[in-house]
Amino acid sequence: MATGTDQVVGLSLVAVSLIIFTYYTVWVILLPFIDSQHVIHKYFLPRAYAVAIPLAAGLLLLLFVGLFITCVMLKNQKATKKAQ
Amino acid sequence: MTKLAQWLWGLALLGCTWAALATGALGLELPPSCREVLWPLPAYLLVAAGCYALGTVGYRVDTFHDCEDAARELQSQIREARADLARRGLRF
Repeated sequence: MATGTDQVVGLSLVAVSLIIFTYYTVWVILLPFIDSQHVIHKYFLPRAYAVAIPLAAGLLLLLFVGLFITCVMLKNQKATKKAQ
Repeated sequence: MTKLAQWLWGLALLGCTWAALATGALGLELPPSCREVLWPLPAYLLVAAGCYALGTVGYRVDTFHDCEDAARELQSQIREARADLARRGLRF
């Protein structure tokens, strides 16, 4: 079995993924079938956000990946220029 | 057919099915709650796949089999090797 921080990190990743999955599943799949007067609707944002938030998060992720690649390539270029 | 072509083919098929059902091009009269579930379905599948990936990575990190004795033995062997080589004149 893994030890110490490995276990903590692993379990927290599993917990985070389960929380996100259950919340999103209830939001997208179950809410339309629940009567609109039920109190549970109070805990969920309007449905438009169910597509907007993952889309924005995906775009942010792409942005960070692009920035990271740009930084690495610039560093490489500088290193080769110094070596010349 | 390559794996990429297979994946793209499957995705294209699913995408067309979803688009046909969501825009009502097939002329089916789905109940409004079904249409409400159908609309965000691609985003939902993406988020579900991402959660599955994250959960699997976390689970594998959690249940990785460390070999503490072997690690300690390896570290001591490395130290021994460094000392030996330094004695013979190799500079690190």
